[in-house]
Amino acid sequence: MTSPVTSNEPLILAVPKGRILKELSPLLAHVGIEPEAAFNDDDARQLRFSTNHPGLDIIRVRSFDVATFVAFGAAHLGVAGNDVLMEFDYPELYAPVDLKIGGCRLSVAAPRRLAESDDPSRWSHIRVATKYPGITRRHFAARGVQAECIKLNGAMELAPGLGLCRRIVDLVSTGSTLKANDLVEVETIAEVTSRLIVNRAALKTRSEELTGWVESFREAADAA
Amino acid sequence: MTDHAEKGLLPAGLEDVLPPLAAHESAVVERLIAAFQAQGYDRVKPPLLEFEEALLAGAGAAVAGQTFRLMDPVSQRMMGLRADMTPQVARIATTRLKNTPRPLRLCYGGQVLQVRGSQLRPERQFAQAGVELIGATDATGDAEVVALAIEALTALGVENLSVDLNLPPLVGALAKDLGLAAEQVAELRLALDRKDAAEVSDLAGGHAGLFQELLRAAGPADKALAALEKLALPAAAAGEVRHLAEVVALICAAAPQARLTVDPVEHRGFEYQTGISFILFAKGVRGELGRGGRYEASGPNGERESSTGFTLFMDTVLRALPAPAPARRVYLPLGTPAEEGRRLRAEGWVTLAGLTAEADPAVEARRLGCGHMLRDGEISEIKD
Repeated sequence: MTSPVTSNEPLILAVPKGRILKELSPLLAHVGIEPEAAFNDDDARQLRFSTNHPGLDIIRVRSFDVATFVAFGAAHLGVAGNDVLMEFDYPELYAPVDLKIGGCRLSVAAPRRLAESDDPSRWSHIRVATKYPGITRRHFAARGVQAECIKLNGAMELAPGLGLCRRIVDLVSTGSTLKANDLVEVETIAEVTSRLIVNRAALKTRSEELTGWVESFREAADAA
Repeated sequence: MTDHAEKGLLPAGLEDVLPPLAAHESAVVERLIAAFQAQGYDRVKPPLLEFEEALLAGAGAAVAGQTFRLMDPVSQRMMGLRADMTPQVARIATTRLKNTPRPLRLCYGGQVLQVRGSQLRPERQFAQAGVELIGATDATGDAEVVALAIEALTALGVENLSVDLNLPPLVGALAKDLGLAAEQVAELRLALDRKDAAEVSDLAGGHAGLFQELLRAAGPADKALAALEKLALPAAAAGEVRHLAEVVALICAAAPQARLTVDPVEHRGFEYQTGISFILFAKGVRGELGRGGRYEASGPNGERESSTGFTLFMDTVLRALPAPAPARRVYLPLGTPAEEGRRLRAEGWVTLAGLTAEADPAVEARRLGCGHMLRDGEISEIKD
């Protein structure tokens, strides 16, 4: 019924640089993926790496770009936090496995003094500095508040103190950066963990290969 | 004139299609239509604009947000520019062709315009070609349109075609039998669409195991059906699965080379589908080549006819095809008798007649992109 499609075209796994990568290494080992030596060298200029599987290469990109590469089918598999998935809401992405790594939360934070006296039920418009304008706008629109988002790529915590805006939406893991900047967490928008993501068309057209990898990652995540 | 006008800037998502792609697209559409007509699907041609309430009735509501609207200065009523041709063909079937015998087989091809391009299809204007099979309720009808899509695309030269078969009513039927609240079902659907296993477990509560099994069942058709048949599904859902198995067997008989996958929970874009639906992919090609499935064609007086069909998205279909073979062009120097030109065109050559006398016709031929020229009544190849 299904003629096996043989192809020499390698599968591409996109992984994020930085913090998540360290937590991902044991999972990759469990799944049986051994990247070439340069992969673990932070100074290497190389961006694409071969693995012990001739049909699988790894690329290392920024976490937001993992979702984009996979959504457009430039990579077939990837590792991305559900914060990134929520922000883009790409219909071409599937997130079949919760890898249970990279745990943190996406929260609204405000200066301590403001949070103490604020009454959110009176808001019609607020200004927020964030890396997640999509999530932020949707989150506040759902309660009838228009959020004007100032897109920043980092150091959100500086914004309230310098008068750029009064509120931020950002990832929080321990909360120490917030505290150091005299900010408090006002509410949690979502709990975040990293997911294995798969390109939709690739999952349909290279079903056997990809389903195999998805199962291996699921076992590795369950075993961890 | 603004700078933009001088430089020919077009609005986002709109483009000029140039040679040779413009000719290629229309030739491919015509070949598809010919394949549909060869199986008894007669062509119809709906208008570009219609009154909004007719265009967006029934299944047409799915593209309401994608429809450009304008006011008809004559009737003072709102009109919509078609964003999808299926609702128009369904309207034709249930109005002007309501007395034509069933099952009614219609096909169509034309341009549509959408308000927003999607992530994978930034084009706002693109060509569609498709078929509708109106008033055929059996599994044989479901199988016929899938097999027709496979046959027509394969004949065009699409390689590694893959058909993903879906059961959009399954989750609804399950939710009803399991007594899930409407709000919970909506969120569950969203999580299922993303295949977000973690979220599905959270939302499905006591039925998490069942929904996980449904998620995992997706894959090659034989394995997926085996997995689905093992599940303890309520009667309505089990009926859907049996029907799917029947359709898969019929498709395999009609198109044994077809690569079939099954995804029982795929639902995005199938909000108005009432039975077996499918999406066409080609390996290595970004996006969907087309999609189709069972729906209710509804007439103006509320009469409903169970129908199925599919729409091909020509931009993606063209991406899945090899580039068109360049036409054989021959240059006819000024003064070539008209009879010579007719003879060559009858042999399949494209002729370019010289309009001025050239000292070296070969140079002129090369400048105009001709691989050959007529020299002393003989065709000679132009060498670089």
